[in-house]
Amino acid sequence: MGEIFLLISVVVITLGAIASLKNQLFGFVASSIAIVVSFISLTPETYFFGVLIVLVGLLNLLTLYISQNQIKGVDYALSAMLVFATILVIQTSNFAMLIGTFILVSVPTYVLVILTENKPNVEIAIKYIVFMVFATILFIIGAFLLVYSASEQVYQFYYIIGYVLLVSGLALEVGIAPFHEWVPDVFAEANPVPISIIASIAKFVPFIVAFKILIGTANPVTESIVAFTAFLSVLSMFVGNIGALTSREHGRVLGYSTVANMGYVLATLVAIVKLEFVYLAISGALLQLFANSAGKIGFFSAIKERTVGASFTYVLAFSFIGMPPLMGFWSKLFILLSLVYSGYVWLGVILVINSAISVPYYIRLARELGKGYGYGLVNVIALIAVLITLITLYPPDWFVQSVRGIVDTFSLGGVV
Amino acid sequence: MNEIPLFAVLFLSPVVSSLPIALAWIYKQGEDWVKKLPYLSVAGLFVSLLISLHILFNFEEGFYSYPWLPDFNINFVFVVDYLSRYMGALTAFIAFLIGVYGLEYMKDDYRLGWYWFFFNTFTASMLLVVYSDNLLTLLIGWEGLGLASWGLIGHWFRDDDDIAFVGTKGRKVGMLEMSWSPSFGGWRAISTIRFGDMPMFFAIAGIYALTGSLDIHAIPWEGMFERIGYFGTIFLLILFMMGPFTKSAQLPFSEWLMTAMTGPTTVSALLHSATMVAAGTYLFMRITWYIEPWNSHIPGLEAVYLFILFLGLVSSLYGAVVALGLRERKVLLASSTMSSLGLMFSAASTSFWLGEVAIIVAFWYLIVHAFAKASLFLVAGHLIHATHDRFCGGDFAFSKKMKTAFAVTILATISLAGIPPFTAYWVKSGMDGLMEHIMEEGLIAPFYLLVLISIFYSAFLAKFLSLNFIKGEKPHHEHTEGGGLMKVAYAVMVSMQLVLLAVILLGYDEHIHFVEEGFLEISITVGLLVTVAYLIALFKPSIRSLSPLGNFLTDRMYMPFINDYIIPQIGWGIIKVVDSCNRGIDLTVHRAIPSVFDEVSRAIRTIQKGHLRTYMKIVTGFVMVFMVIFALVGW
Repeated sequence: MGEIFLLISVVVITLGAIASLKNQLFGFVASSIAIVVSFISLTPETYFFGVLIVLVGLLNLLTLYISQNQIKGVDYALSAMLVFATILVIQTSNFAMLIGTFILVSVPTYVLVILTENKPNVEIAIKYIVFMVFATILFIIGAFLLVYSASEQVYQFYYIIGYVLLVSGLALEVGIAPFHEWVPDVFAEANPVPISIIASIAKFVPFIVAFKILIGTANPVTESIVAFTAFLSVLSMFVGNIGALTSREHGRVLGYSTVANMGYVLATLVAIVKLEFVYLAISGALLQLFANSAGKIGFFSAIKERTVGASFTYVLAFSFIGMPPLMGFWSKLFILLSLVYSGYVWLGVILVINSAISVPYYIRLARELGKGYGYGLVNVIALIAVLITLITLYPPDWFVQSVRGIVDTFSLGGVV
Repeated sequence: MNEIPLFAVLFLSPVVSSLPIALAWIYKQGEDWVKKLPYLSVAGLFVSLLISLHILFNFEEGFYSYPWLPDFNINFVFVVDYLSRYMGALTAFIAFLIGVYGLEYMKDDYRLGWYWFFFNTFTASMLLVVYSDNLLTLLIGWEGLGLASWGLIGHWFRDDDDIAFVGTKGRKVGMLEMSWSPSFGGWRAISTIRFGDMPMFFAIAGIYALTGSLDIHAIPWEGMFERIGYFGTIFLLILFMMGPFTKSAQLPFSEWLMTAMTGPTTVSALLHSATMVAAGTYLFMRITWYIEPWNSHIPGLEAVYLFILFLGLVSSLYGAVVALGLRERKVLLASSTMSSLGLMFSAASTSFWLGEVAIIVAFWYLIVHAFAKASLFLVAGHLIHATHDRFCGGDFAFSKKMKTAFAVTILATISLAGIPPFTAYWVKSGMDGLMEHIMEEGLIAPFYLLVLISIFYSAFLAKFLSLNFIKGEKPHHEHTEGGGLMKVAYAVMVSMQLVLLAVILLGYDEHIHFVEEGFLEISITVGLLVTVAYLIALFKPSIRSLSPLGNFLTDRMYMPFINDYIIPQIGWGIIKVVDSCNRGIDLTVHRAIPSVFDEVSRAIRTIQKGHLRTYMKIVTGFVMVFMVIFALVGW
């Protein structure tokens, strides 16, 4: 039943893209409508998750609205496709569809990264695309190996290699150490608005697909191989946080911040060993991605135009640091809980230590990017981002319930 | 049960009656009507005296208890037995007499409120210590004694009058100046006492933890000692006795008593001769009375009591010898007090071999000493007041103007020295008897030490008399009029010697058997030796050729170095260690850690060379390494 709305949504996006050649406002309106329509396709249990995705998606469109680039009008469509893919991925369990969604969320970003207000940024784009393609390859090969080993019940060799390849692919895609080299350069030199889109909405699908595949193919060997994920996670946390401490350019700092945040999210993959707590882990992961999205959008907008109020930048900084009752606190709490329940207390301790290490550079960002009282549309964007982080003033039990609704549909269909 | 309210009034009356002067002096200092308020304080002391006499003559012996923390078995338990009846009456009576003396002695003081408050608080605390059977309430009184001691010794805190100092300003031995001010004296007193109170606290806590009871008569001493074994017994008892040792100024804790003479003479008379310092020996006697070591066969006890026996004798010998060389009136008397306290400890400790009778002897020596020494201190105070000089001085012409003082001093010194047939002779005979009996246990030295100490004791008492009234230098300043109330006070005080003599000779107390001891051959011999020493010292109080030795003794055999140099150096050493730890923490947190983070951060950022080929090399390299590792693992 929901597929109809997804279909309508895609059609509207496409039509809007075409119509935008006439007047770019058509593209904006059509993409916004398409996003809302795709939301309708969701089942009621997952509404809260959907609402947040839609909010982030609309916010991305808003940031595009106030910026200029070479393909004005079509850029809305590209951004809307990312939202579409994110909403699609939680409704499908078909292996082929999952792989397809992974690619679907990756490709529009190849175009987005080139966009600037004057000369296209080809060099950065090449760097980015090479990494992304490599990521996709590794991820797909890994996914296939995992599914094969699960179906043949041959777990020793293929499963392990598949796992390593999948996680490496994921790491390359989202920017996890030691595969993070593209992140600081791209975040520093590309245009802030497209980067904010890549840094926000494009991170959800890779993780959700990884979760679905790994949970679907979980077996006794998983317990030992999960150490690899833990290792990458720890490395990423430290590299991201410590690297940001002495970086000067704001974009670069945000790049390292992304590396660290992806490390936090990757840590939740460890909780697969205890399937009864995996809902908590996924809640933590998704909430962390939301907090990360809101924060990155807010900060990149401030980089684009220095008219954002200091109060907003400080709230966003505190959300990143993990101060209650902001969203960043709750996400880290859920992640910690899932780690502790799975028996990875040491990983939780490292997470907390890293939160502490991250304080100086977030405060520095807030201080340097926020100026007194903000004004203008950019300030409004920042305000909406702040409001998103404040949603958890009402304790996010509602979010966890929503995630349960998603997790209940996890089953790897079509192959296993 | 109307005894409990009486006890309450006994303890509270002095404190409450001193509150008016204490408060009034803060707001209305120096006014005429305020200066009459000390009479109220002394009236409060009188009330306590009446109650203590009532307890002495009319109370049944026993334990009177009032609930406090019944769930913890900690209550107010007051004991009326042989020791507490006499000690309570003694404390209240001496406190009252000295209070009367103080009305005149302190009438022009600048801190009357402070003085009377602490004076009365002291009396209340001492009475609490005397009558308490529960160790916790005793501890409360004990701490009150220390606090009052600090307040009273450092009473003339402005350190502006040389008459209040101890020692000679400007006189140096090594790097130490042999001069101590009132404020410093107060500090020394409380810090030394505190040093001993801490182990005592722990010992009491240990007793409670081991037995669940804090009432001295109810604690199962023998069972507890058996449980904790030989070393446990020694450890626990020595810890406990640290309180009495410091309070009663035994070696090496004697210095505070010497410099406590910076306080007013009334304070010296009450606290540092008769009552507070005696609290340590009193406590020792009390717990010995109930432990009954002569009945038990606990091996650790013998070691402890042997230790106390010799500690007491050595401290006593030290005090007596040093007193021979001292030239300040009050410090001489203080040193002699230390000597007497040592004798009390050692006499009481012989109870391990000889039974309850030893405690009785020690206790009666305490009583005799209290009245005699208090009289001497009061006289010394009057002398200092009259000559405005704290050093011994006064010739025969002077003594004609101070007839009462002269007579009182003669009576007090003769009674205390042990010259037959005066009061202390009989008690000292009892002590000689004790020391002679323990020779059968193989302990030969104590008897000879006791004789030696007695000789020195008698000698310096005679020296005190001689240098102040007969053969001393003529005073530069004479102000001998007045002092009526003071004369009455010390005359009454010394007349107690005759009362005690009567009690001993007429056999009013069935516990005392000194009279038989006094007629033994050995006692008569010792008595004669003592008399001879007295007469020699009377006629030749100072020997010029022994001046260097005299200086050595006046410097108290360099004991001040422990308090004023060695212990502080240890403290400074600890400070240096702590300081370097602080510096280390500082260095780590403020310099080492940030610079480490700095270095690592720069290292991470150097990866970002900007060239895609570098990145690809890194990435593919890692992927291949991981694959190889995990392929091997998987195989």
